[in-house]
Amino acid sequence: MSKLSFRARALDAAKPLPIYRGKDMPDLNDCVSINRAVPQMPTGMEKEEESEHHLQRAISAQQVFREKKESMVIPVPEAESNVIYYNRLYKGEFKQPKQFIHIQPFNLDNEQPDYDMDSEDETLLNRLNRKMEIKPLQFEIMIDRLEKASSNQLVTLQEAKLLLNEDDYLIKAVYDYWVRKRKNCRGPSLIPQIKQEKRDGSTNNDPYVAFRRRTEKMQTRKNRKNDEASYEKMLKLRREFSRAITILEMIKRREKTKRELLHLTLEVVEKRYHLGDYGGEILNEVKINRPEKEIYATPATLHNGNHHKVQECKTKHPHHSSLKEEAPDVVRQKKKYPKKPKAETLITPQQPTTETLPVINKSDIKQYDFHSSDEDEFPQVPSPVSEPEEENDPDGPCAFRRRAGCQYFAPRLDQTNHSNDNSELADLDKLRYRHCLTTLTVPRRCIGFARRRIGRGGRVIMDRISTEHDPVLKQLDPEMLNGFSSSSQTVDFSSNFSWTNASNKHCENRLSLSEILSNIRSCRLQCFQPRLLNLQDSDSEECTSRKPGQTVNNKRVSAASVALLNTSRNGISVTGGITEEQFQTHQQQLVQMQRQQLAQLQQKQQSQHSSQQTHPKAQGSSTSDCMSKTLDSASAHFAASAVVSAPVPTRSEVTKEQSTSHSNINGVVQPSGTSKTLYSTNMALSSSPGISTVQLVRTVGHTTTNHLIPALCTSSPQTLPMNNSCLTNAVHLNNVSVVSPVNVHINTRTSAPSPTALKLATVAASMDRVPKVTPSSAISSIARENHEPERLGLNGIAETTVAMEVT
Amino acid sequence: MAEVGEVIEGCRLPVLRRNQDNEDEWPLAEILSVKDISGRKLFYVHYIDFNKRLDEWVTHDRLDLKKIQFPKKEAKTPTKNGLPGSRPGSPEREVPASAQASGKTLPIPVQITLRFNLPKEREAIPGGEPDQPLSSSSCLQPNHRSTKRKVEVVSPATPVPSETAPASVFPQNGSARRALAAQPGRKRKSNCLGTDEDSQDSSDGIPSAPRMTGSLVSDRSHDDIVTRMKNIECIELGRHRLKPWYFSPYPQELTALPVLYLCEFCLKYGKSLKCLQRHLTKCDLRHPPGNEIYRKGTISFFEIDGRKNKSYSQNLCLLAKCFLDHKTLYYDTDPFLFYVMTEYDCKGFHIVGYFSKEKESTEDYNVACILTLPPYQRRGYGKLLIEFSYELSKVEGKTGTPEKPLSDLGLLSYRSYWSQTILEILMGLKSESGERPQITINEISEITSIKKEDVISTLQYLNLINYYKGQYILTLSEDIVDGHERAMLKRLLRIDSKCLHFTPKDWSKRGKW
Repeated sequence: MSKLSFRARALDAAKPLPIYRGKDMPDLNDCVSINRAVPQMPTGMEKEEESEHHLQRAISAQQVFREKKESMVIPVPEAESNVIYYNRLYKGEFKQPKQFIHIQPFNLDNEQPDYDMDSEDETLLNRLNRKMEIKPLQFEIMIDRLEKASSNQLVTLQEAKLLLNEDDYLIKAVYDYWVRKRKNCRGPSLIPQIKQEKRDGSTNNDPYVAFRRRTEKMQTRKNRKNDEASYEKMLKLRREFSRAITILEMIKRREKTKRELLHLTLEVVEKRYHLGDYGGEILNEVKINRPEKEIYATPATLHNGNHHKVQECKTKHPHHSSLKEEAPDVVRQKKKYPKKPKAETLITPQQPTTETLPVINKSDIKQYDFHSSDEDEFPQVPSPVSEPEEENDPDGPCAFRRRAGCQYFAPRLDQTNHSNDNSELADLDKLRYRHCLTTLTVPRRCIGFARRRIGRGGRVIMDRISTEHDPVLKQLDPEMLNGFSSSSQTVDFSSNFSWTNASNKHCENRLSLSEILSNIRSCRLQCFQPRLLNLQDSDSEECTSRKPGQTVNNKRVSAASVALLNTSRNGISVTGGITEEQFQTHQQQLVQMQRQQLAQLQQKQQSQHSSQQTHPKAQGSSTSDCMSKTLDSASAHFAASAVVSAPVPTRSEVTKEQSTSHSNINGVVQPSGTSKTLYSTNMALSSSPGISTVQLVRTVGHTTTNHLIPALCTSSPQTLPMNNSCLTNAVHLNNVSVVSPVNVHINTRTSAPSPTALKLATVAASMDRVPKVTPSSAISSIARENHEPERLGLNGIAETTVAMEVT
Repeated sequence: MAEVGEVIEGCRLPVLRRNQDNEDEWPLAEILSVKDISGRKLFYVHYIDFNKRLDEWVTHDRLDLKKIQFPKKEAKTPTKNGLPGSRPGSPEREVPASAQASGKTLPIPVQITLRFNLPKEREAIPGGEPDQPLSSSSCLQPNHRSTKRKVEVVSPATPVPSETAPASVFPQNGSARRALAAQPGRKRKSNCLGTDEDSQDSSDGIPSAPRMTGSLVSDRSHDDIVTRMKNIECIELGRHRLKPWYFSPYPQELTALPVLYLCEFCLKYGKSLKCLQRHLTKCDLRHPPGNEIYRKGTISFFEIDGRKNKSYSQNLCLLAKCFLDHKTLYYDTDPFLFYVMTEYDCKGFHIVGYFSKEKESTEDYNVACILTLPPYQRRGYGKLLIEFSYELSKVEGKTGTPEKPLSDLGLLSYRSYWSQTILEILMGLKSESGERPQITINEISEITSIKKEDVISTLQYLNLINYYKGQYILTLSEDIVDGHERAMLKRLLRIDSKCLHFTPKDWSKRGKW
C-alpha cells in the first residue's frame, strides 16, 4: 500500500521536532505506514499481565476518551476507612512543628519492650493484681526479657530469676504463665518476628524468610591472607599486653612490699635511736635470742661477712683499671670510706656460730638496700663503671650491701688474724689478695699480676697492676705453669698460710723468675691460667668428693675465672656464634650433668651429718644441692637453650669451651628461669664456686639479660668473702658491678640489643611455675626499652633478692 | 458434570464473579488451592486474564462444574500409585517425572517436609477419587510446563493456615495446595508470546537467589504457590482497613488472623487490637521516622535510610508487598532509600504512599517500588509520588526511570504522568518570531528528567510523533489538547519544587550503603 520507496530515518533524539497544532496539522494519511519506523517501546510490564483484561480495557478507554472513565478503572479489592475506634486508639493530638522534622535515626532505640500484651495477658494481670501490683509495662518487660533470652530452648526458672528483677512470687507466676503460653504459641516466639534466614541455605526458597543479608556485597577488597596475618598479630598483641599487665601487677606488689619494709626499717631505727642503741648491741641481743627458734644452723652470719668486707674496703684501695677502656694503667684512687662505728663494735660479739635468719636482717637498715628509691637519684650517665658511685655512695664501691636472703659467712678467723698479724705487710701484700699472677692463653704469655672482674654484659675485664716483678714475670712462660693448676686445686686450706707467706716474701724482695716458679710450684704463689679441657672433666668428680674446706674451691674459682678471663679477652674480638652442633652437644652434656649431680647429691647427703657441725658451710652446699635437684631436666634444657639460642653477637669462644665442661650447670640454668634457682645458684657457688662463677659469666654472655648479673652478684659476695683473701678482690669487683648495676646497665643499654633480653624475659615470664622471677627479668628487659636503666636494673636485683627470701 | 470433590488444583472452570458494575460474570478461573473449613470446601481461584489481586476464596456454588477442565498435561505422567495421599512423597520419584516432562534434568533439590499428594495421579483415576479431603496433606506438585521455570516445580512445603485447627495451623492441617503444575493461563500466554528469555534463563538452573543488585523487584524465580496466594486477610492501619492484594511474608503465625493490626506510624504489626493498644502506649511516633524533606500544605515527604532504620523499612516493605506483586523481600533494605508521602492531620503524619529508590542505581532507576495505599488511590497521590521522584532526579541532575516491570496500575500511572508532563511542555512552547516551535527529545528529557526512552514511548503512545516531508514532527491534535486540559484541571496536587529541601548524597563515596 505504501508507495514510499525510502526508509524513514531513525528517530534522532537530538534533532528538533517541529510541533504542529490544530489547524496547522498536515494531512497525515501518508504518514501511517511510516510510523513503524519509530521503534516500538516496551511498556515495561510483564507480557502476561500486559494482556490482562482490565488493563487493556483501561488503556483503550484512555486512548479513546483521553481521560479516565470511572467504569474503566482497574478494579482493586476494596479498602474501608471507617475504623470507628480510631480516635480512642490514637489518643492525643500531634501539632505539626514549624520546622521540618529531623530525626536522629539511632534515637529510636528506646528501651521499650517489643512485646505487646494481649487480652489473655490482661486476664492474668488482673488476676495477679489481686495479690500484688503489676503494671502492664512491667509485665511486658518481663515477657520481653524472657523471650529474648530464650531461643529454641526456654530459659529456666533460675535463669529467669536472674533475668528479672522482681519479686520471686511474681517471677514464678509470670514464668509459669509464659512457659504455658509459649507452648501453645504457634510461632517461634511470642513476639512475632519475620523469619530469619539460616546460614545453611535451607531457607533460600522459603517465601516467609525475608530481608536476607546481601552477603556478597559485604565482602571487602582485603585479601584473606592479610586478615589472617593481622588477626594473628592482634592475638599476639593481646597476649603480650596481658603479660605486661601481670608484670605490672607484680611490680606493684613488690613496690608495696618494699615500702612496707622501709617503714618497718625506719621504725626499727627510731626504736633503736630512742633506746640509745647506737652501737647495735640491743639489736644484736635481740637477734641472738632468735636462733632458738631456728630449725637448722646457718653457718655464717651476716655481720661477720659485712664487717670483714668493710674492713677490707677500708684498708685497701681498690684500683680500677679496665682493659676494655684501653687504659690498663689508669689507677683510680678511691675515696676514703668513712668507717661505720657499728661495724667496729660488732666484730667481737659476732661468732662464726652465730646464726641469723635472713628475716632478721631485714630490720638492719644499715645493711639494707632500698634499691629503687636509692638508685633513683642516680644520674643516668653512661660513664665508666665506678663514677656514679663515687659521687653518690658515701661508702664508695666497697660499701657492702647486704642482700636479703643471702647467707653471709663469717670471716675465717685464722685468715684475718693472720693478715692482721703480719702488719708489716705492705700494700703489695694486700694487693696480692686481689691480684694474682695471670697468664693468658692467646697470646700465650704471662701478664703479671692482675685481677679479673665482670664487666658489662658479662665480659671479663682484667685489671692489671704493675709490680716490681713485672719484667721478670713477662718472661714467665705459661707452659711452665701447666703442671700446677691441677695441683693447686688439690691444695687444702692450710696452704693459705704458706701462700701468704710466700707472697710476703715475694713482695718484699724482687724475686727471680726461678723463684717465682718455685713458689708457684709449691703453691705458695697463686697463679691463674686457662684451664685445659681434660682438667675440667675431673671437676664433677672433685665435686662429689669435695670436702667442706673451701680453699680448694676457692683456688678453683680463681683458676677458672682466669681461664675465662684470658679466653674471653680474646673472644672479644672473635665473634663466635653457637652452631647447632654445639648446642646439641651442650644439651647432651646437660643431661649428663644432671645425672652426675644426682649422684653427687646422694653422696653429699651421706656426708652431711658429719660435715654439718665441723664445717657449717657444707650445710649450705647440701641445701643448695637439694634445691638444684628441683630443677628437672626439661627446664634445664629449656633454660640452657634459651641462653644458648639467644643471639650473642660477641660471644667468645670460651663460651663454647665452657659449655663442654661438666660443671654445675644449675647455676647457669636456673637464674634464667626460676627464682628458686637463684638461691641455689648461691649455694652452688659456695659449694663449687669456680665452675659456677664461670658458668654464670658464660650465661650472662654479652648481650643476654642483665638480670642475670644480679644473680651472680648476689651470690658472689656471699661465696667469696670468707674465702681466700685473694679472691675478695674479685668478689669486691663483682660487688662493684652489682651494687652499681646502674653503670653496667647503662653501658649495656647503649650497645646491647634489647630484643634478646626481651625474648629471654618473655620466655621466663611464660614459665608459669616460676612467677617470681618473671617480674625481674621482664622488668630488666622492659627497662632497657624504656631507657630507665639504672632503676630497673636495680629492680631486677631487688626482685632477685625477694625471690630468694621466699625460698 | 463433575462432583465438587473432584475439583482439584489445576482445574479450570467458569467461576461466578461480580464485576464493578455489579454485573454477574462467569470468567474462566483456575483452582489454585482447595481447603476444607468445617466440612465446607473453599476454592482459591485465579480469574484468568484478570490480575491476581482479584484472586479469592470461593464456595463451590460459584463454580460452574459443568464446564470443568481437568489439568490435561498431568494425565500423561505415568501414575505410580493409585492411592493419593496415603504414602509419603519421594523426591526420587518426583524429580525424574518432572524432568521427563520438561525434557530437562532438574538439578533442584526437592524439599519435602510433608507428604506429597500428587494431583496427577488422582487425575489418572478420576472416578476413583477418594472423598478424603485434600486437606489432610500438603501437595507439592512438580511443574510440567516445559518452557517455564523449574523453580516453580518444587516449592517448599509452606503450610497455609486453616481455621479448622487454629491451635496448630501450621504444617499439614487443612491446607491443600499445589504448585503451579497447571497454570495453563500463564503457560498458554508464554507460549503465545514466544519464549520468554527470562523464564528460559531461570529454567536452566538451580533456583538461585534473586540478583542482589537492583531493587526489590521479584524476578519471579521464587514464584511458587505460596507466594501466588494472598496470605493476609485484612490489615488495619490507622483509620483504614485494607484488603491485601498479594502475598506478604509477615510472620507466619499472623497469617491466620482475620485482621492484622498495624501501628499507623511505625507500621509495627500486632496480632490483636489489644496488642496495638499496648503498643501505642509505648510508641510515640507520629510521623515516619525519617527526615522531612518536603512539605507543602498537608503533604510531606520523609526520607528513610533502609540501612539506618531497618525496622521501619522492613515494616514498610511488608505492608507494601501486600499491594505489589512484582516485589520480593528476599534481601534486606540496606541499599534503598524510602520516600514516604504523608498527609498531616491533628493526629499526625499519616502515610499515604511511598516509593523506594536505590542509593546507587546502575540503570538510571529513580524508583524501585512505588505504591499509593489503596485508601488513597485514584486521588492523584500516585502521580504526586511520581512527580516527586522526578523532582529528586532533577535535583540530582539525572534522568530516571522506574524499575521494571511495571504493574498494570504502575504503567497507567506513569503513562499518565509522562503524557501530562510532556504535553505540558509541548503546549507551553510558544512560537518565536513566527516560526514553528520545535524541541528535541533530549531537551524534553532534560527538562523533565524523564528518561529518553520513556519520552519516546509516551510520544508514541499518544500518537504525537509522525513522519512528514522527510522529517519527524510532533502533532498536537485537538482532542489531545482538550483531553490534556481537562485532565490538568483535575490534577490539583502538584509538587512545588520550592518546598523541597533535598541534598542528594553521593553514596558511592560512603561505601556500600
